[in-house]
Amino acid sequence: MSLAATATMVLMLLLLAGFWIIQTGLLAGLQFTEQKVEVVGYLQTTATTNQIATLQAEIAAMPEVANVTYVDRDTALQRFRASMAAQGREDLTQYLDSNPLYGSLEVKLVDPTNFGRVGDALRADPIVRNVINIEDLVERVLTVTNVLRTAGTVVLLIVGIIVLFIIVNTIRLAVVARAEEIEIMRLVGASDAFIRWPFVFEGAMVGLFGSLLTLGILAAAADPISGFMADFFRVLPLQFGSLTRDLIALVLGAGVGLGVLGSWLSVRTYLIR
Amino acid sequence: MTIAPAPRQVRSIRSRVLGRNHDQAKPERPVLVLHDVTKQYPNGKLALREVDLIIPEGDFVFLVGPSGAGKSTLIKLLIRDELPTRGEVVLDGQDLAHLPRRQVPRMRRKIGIIFQDFKLLPTKTVWENVAFALEVTGTSRSQIRPAVDRVLALVGLTEQAEQVPSQLSGGEQQRTAIARALVHDPRLIIADEPTGNLDPLISWEIIQLLLRINELGVTVMMATHNAQVVTALRKRVVALEEGRVIRDEVGGAYHRED
Repeated sequence: MSLAATATMVLMLLLLAGFWIIQTGLLAGLQFTEQKVEVVGYLQTTATTNQIATLQAEIAAMPEVANVTYVDRDTALQRFRASMAAQGREDLTQYLDSNPLYGSLEVKLVDPTNFGRVGDALRADPIVRNVINIEDLVERVLTVTNVLRTAGTVVLLIVGIIVLFIIVNTIRLAVVARAEEIEIMRLVGASDAFIRWPFVFEGAMVGLFGSLLTLGILAAAADPISGFMADFFRVLPLQFGSLTRDLIALVLGAGVGLGVLGSWLSVRTYLIR
Repeated sequence: MTIAPAPRQVRSIRSRVLGRNHDQAKPERPVLVLHDVTKQYPNGKLALREVDLIIPEGDFVFLVGPSGAGKSTLIKLLIRDELPTRGEVVLDGQDLAHLPRRQVPRMRRKIGIIFQDFKLLPTKTVWENVAFALEVTGTSRSQIRPAVDRVLALVGLTEQAEQVPSQLSGGEQQRTAIARALVHDPRLIIADEPTGNLDPLISWEIIQLLLRINELGVTVMMATHNAQVVTALRKRVVALEEGRVIRDEVGGAYHRED
């Protein structure tokens, strides 16, 4: 079975690994987008440092909240100027004699769908001027991300099934080529387990060898790819270490698993009589 | 020649040559009994109809009949490749129809089977091909070596032990197959057209070898079209036609003699 089956195994595992990497990147991107959803409460200019600190602690204590950042008025002005400069527009604030912006509490949520109670809690405090109504925005973002997430999973699943069929069929061809050997084994009274075992072992070996070859190719390709995707990884909440670990587990598991399954199913055809 | 059980003396020669004892085999019990066996294939074809057949230990039986008479189906029933639609196939006291699937390999080890096309593994040597029949049964290496050497000496292939099938003549390949069928010390040897691919002279050699094996006490059943051989040897002849046993006589010829 070796050469053709191993080559097919390598190509199919590369395909699977490629789609899995894309899927992981997609999920990380979606998570990143969802994290951008935050509840912002603008504060009255009269609010004292004490009051602000109390409210910040109160909000931070809520279970839905990931973290709360206080942005004071000067920081807000600097951010505004920076964003104007980044867009190449003229900074109009230099013509004003005082800072027109309000300080704010920026609340990041554990789950972006749970913004309601946090918004209410902010509104209830008199030092809060107003809370940006993020409901519409959140719903739109979540609709898009959910669709993409489902689509990604479906595509990965379809690719997985295609890979399964192609590998199982390649191994079947190899087993068919040895049908006479299986027949002779049956005629001299070999037990099913005795006949099956060398084929399953060979399937596992093809799977193992194919996975290692695939991982080798991926490792060789990792440098140019990660150079190309350095920015991508810097922005996204992805850990390269855990990604690599999962990928190794996926390729090895799929390779050996499909090798064994393919052989088992193929030999079974000849054993059932 | 009678169809009486093989005498004790024969059995002892056999155990000396094959190196094993068959004390557990009661001479009174026939090796094979077919009772009212009918086989209909899923496509509706009736391959065997109400076949009754008893083969005692030590017998030599020719199974004759035109193509499509049911010889191959009968052999498939004996090795439990097929199950009878009705009736019983009892091999060595065990009804094959009621044999659990897991027991089938064990039952097949009681049979040695020889085919027209030899069915040898092309990548293995003569010695390995014969040893294969013992390896699959889980026999230990120390027992395999003497058993294979002994059986190769019996069929006269000691010199060719290290050759692969493609280096052998047809007769030598068939003798390898006979050695393989014999090495695990079966109760019954089934030969399905063993001389079909061989020239007349070599065919006679193969027949002589099967006769010698039979003299050692092994029951032999041989399906053949070779009228000359059957008629010359005057052994028991079972003739099939359209799935029925139309003749079963000791000392018979290939064709009916009225």
